[in-house]
Amino acid sequence: MALLKVKFDQKKRVKLAQGLWLMNWFSVLAGIIIFGLGLFLKIELRKRSDVMNNSESHFVPNSLIGVGVLSCVFNSLAGKICYDALDPAKYAKWKPWLKPYLAVCVLFNVTLFLVALCCFLLRGSLESTLAHGLKNGMKFYRDTDTPGRCFMKKTIDMLQIEFKCCGNNGFRDWFEIQWISNRYLDFSSKEVKDRIKSNVDGRYLVDGVPFSCCNPNSPRPCIQYQLTNNSAHYSYDHQTEELNLWLRGCRAALLSYYSNLMNTIGAATLLVWLFEATITVGLRYLHTALEGMANPEDPECESEGWLLEKSVPETWKAFLESMKKLGQGNQVEAEGEDAGQAPAAG
Amino acid sequence: MAPVLPLVLPLQPRIRLAQGLWLLSWLLVLVGGLTLLCSGHLLVQVWHLGTFLAPSCPFSALPQVALAASAVALGTGLVGSGASRASLDAEQYPPWRGVLGPLLVAGTAGGGGLLVLALGLALALPGTLDTGLEEGLGSALAHYKDTEVPGRCQAKRLLDELQLRHHCCGRHGYKDWFGIQWVSNRYLDPNDHDVVDRIQSNVEGLYLIDGVPFSCCNPHSPRPCLQSQLSDPHAHPLFDPRQPNLNLWSQGCHEVLLGHLQGLASTLGNMLAVTFLLQTLVLLGLRYLQTALEGLGGVIDGEGEAQGYLFPAGLKDMLKTAWLQGVGPHRPAPGEGPPEEEPPKEGLPEA
Repeated sequence: MALLKVKFDQKKRVKLAQGLWLMNWFSVLAGIIIFGLGLFLKIELRKRSDVMNNSESHFVPNSLIGVGVLSCVFNSLAGKICYDALDPAKYAKWKPWLKPYLAVCVLFNVTLFLVALCCFLLRGSLESTLAHGLKNGMKFYRDTDTPGRCFMKKTIDMLQIEFKCCGNNGFRDWFEIQWISNRYLDFSSKEVKDRIKSNVDGRYLVDGVPFSCCNPNSPRPCIQYQLTNNSAHYSYDHQTEELNLWLRGCRAALLSYYSNLMNTIGAATLLVWLFEATITVGLRYLHTALEGMANPEDPECESEGWLLEKSVPETWKAFLESMKKLGQGNQVEAEGEDAGQAPAAG
Repeated sequence: MAPVLPLVLPLQPRIRLAQGLWLLSWLLVLVGGLTLLCSGHLLVQVWHLGTFLAPSCPFSALPQVALAASAVALGTGLVGSGASRASLDAEQYPPWRGVLGPLLVAGTAGGGGLLVLALGLALALPGTLDTGLEEGLGSALAHYKDTEVPGRCQAKRLLDELQLRHHCCGRHGYKDWFGIQWVSNRYLDPNDHDVVDRIQSNVEGLYLIDGVPFSCCNPHSPRPCLQSQLSDPHAHPLFDPRQPNLNLWSQGCHEVLLGHLQGLASTLGNMLAVTFLLQTLVLLGLRYLQTALEGLGGVIDGEGEAQGYLFPAGLKDMLKTAWLQGVGPHRPAPGEGPPEEEPPKEGLPEA
C-alpha cells in the first residue's frame, strides 16, 4: 500500500518538473535571504559585544549562515535535476544519485526546522550574558584612562541614549557604584571627604546618574544629581517623578530588542522551511513518477507517484531489516572465509 | 519644406537604434528610480526637521517637484523601453503607432518642463536655507522652556533629540544657551537668593545662567559631563573653560543642519542632471525612430532607406501651416469670393 499515491500523465509530470524548477530558484533566493539575516544578527551581536563581556554565544547566527549556504547549494542542484528530469538521456545520469540526495534533503529540512526553533528558544542565555556584561560595563564607566577600558564610558552613554534606558535594572544601579573617577574629585572639599569616609570601601557614591539617563520628554530640565533629596530641587518629588529619567533598565531594553530580532528571523526561517519541505515532497513525487514509468522509452505513458512505497510501519521494518542485513552481511562473509580456509587447510 | 536635422536610417542602423534605445530606456528607469528614492529621502528629512525651518522657507518645494519629475522620467523610460522593443517586432508595433506621438509630446513638455524646474530649484533653493534655519532654530531655542504652552510644548523634546542625534549644541555654539532663558519659571524657587539676584540683575527680568541642557553633552569626554557654571574656572576642579572641546559638542546645529540639507540637495541636483540628460537622449531617439518608421508607412522590416527627422519643417513653416489650418476653416463666408481666394492661398505654402 503506497503512501499518498498520485497518478501522473506526461503533461502533469512536465508541469511538476517545471514548477519545481521555478520553486527551487526562488528557494535559492530564500537561502540568500536567510544567509543575510544570519549575517545581520551576527553583526548586531558583535556591535554590542562590549556590554556582553565578549562572551555572547554566536551559535544562532552561525547556524543561520550555514543553513543559508547549504540551502543555496542544495536548491540549485535540485533545480538542475528538475531541468534534466524531462530529458530521459540527461535524467539517466542523475538516476542513481536521487535516492541518497532525497535522504540528504530530508536531513537538511530537519536541520532547518531545528535552527528555526533555536531562534525562538535561545533567548535565556542572552539574558544572563547581558546582566553580567552590563554590570561590568558600569563598573568600568569611570576608567577612561585605563587602556583597554577607556571606551566603556562612551559605549554605555551611547547605549543609554540609543535604547532609552538607564542602568542595569533601573537608574538606582548607578547609586551603588562609583562612576565619577577620582581624578575629577576635589579632595580638598569637605563634602567629598565626608562621603568617602562614610563609605566602607572608601568609594565616592552619589545619588546621581550620568547625563545619558536623561529623558528628553521631561517638561523640566534634567535633574541628574541629588535625585532622592526632594528639598534640593524646587517642586520636585522623587517618588512621583516619572518623566525625568528613563525608567527602563538597559538589560530589559537590549533583551527585548534582540528577542524581537530573533523572533522575526525565526518566523522567516519557518516560512522558508515550509517552502523547502514542499519542494522535497514534490521532488520525491517526481522521482517516483519517473521511476514508475512502465516503459522508459515511451514518454507518453502514465505512471504513479508516491511518497513511500509501503506504509510507514512497513517501511520502517524494511529499513531495520536492511540495517541488520548490512551487519549480518559482514558476519556471513567472515564465516565463509573461515569455512573456505578450513577445507583448504584440511 | 526641409525637415529639421534629418538622418538617413537604413534597416541595420534602425535596428541598432532600437536596441540602443532599449538599453538607454532601462538605464533611465534605473536612474529615475534612484532619483525618486533620493527625493523621497530628502522629503522625509525636511518633514522631520520641519520645526527648525521657518514656515516661510520654500525649501520643501524642491523634494516635491523632484519627486514628480523623477516619476515622469521613470514613466518615460518604461514607455521608451516598450516602444523600442515593439519597433523590432512587426506584430507589436501597430498599436504603438497612434500612441507614440502624443506620448512624445507629453514626455517632452511635461517631463522636460518638470525636470528643468526641479534643476532650477535645486540650484536656487539651498541659498534660502540659511535664513530659514536661523529663524527656525532661533524660535525653537526661545521656546525650549515653554513645555506648557500649547503648540510649543514639543520644542524641548525636539531640540534635545536634534542635539543628541546630530551631535551639535545651540545655534552656532554652546554659548547661545547663555543668552536665553531655557529654564521655565515654574521650576524656579522664588525664595532662593541666587535666583532672585539673577532675575533682578537682568534688564528684561530673564533668568540667564552659564549652563547648557544635558543634550549638549559629548559622550566622548573622559569626565562626567559638566553642564553648569561653564564660565567659572574655579567651579570645577581640573576644568579649564578655555578648552571645553570634549565636554560638550563643539559644532552649532545651524552649521550641521545646513551642511546636511545642502549635501542632500546637491546629490539630488546631480541625479536630476543625469536624469535630464538620459531623458533627452531617450526622447530624441524615440522621435527619430518614430519618424523613420512613419516614413516607411509603419512597415518594420522594410529594406527601404527611411529618413528620420526632428520636425517635418522649419519652425517658421510649421507656424505658418498651423496658423492657416487654424484660421482657414473659421473664416466667415460672405459669399463665394473667399472660397475662391482660399485654394490659391493654400497652394502657396505647398510650393
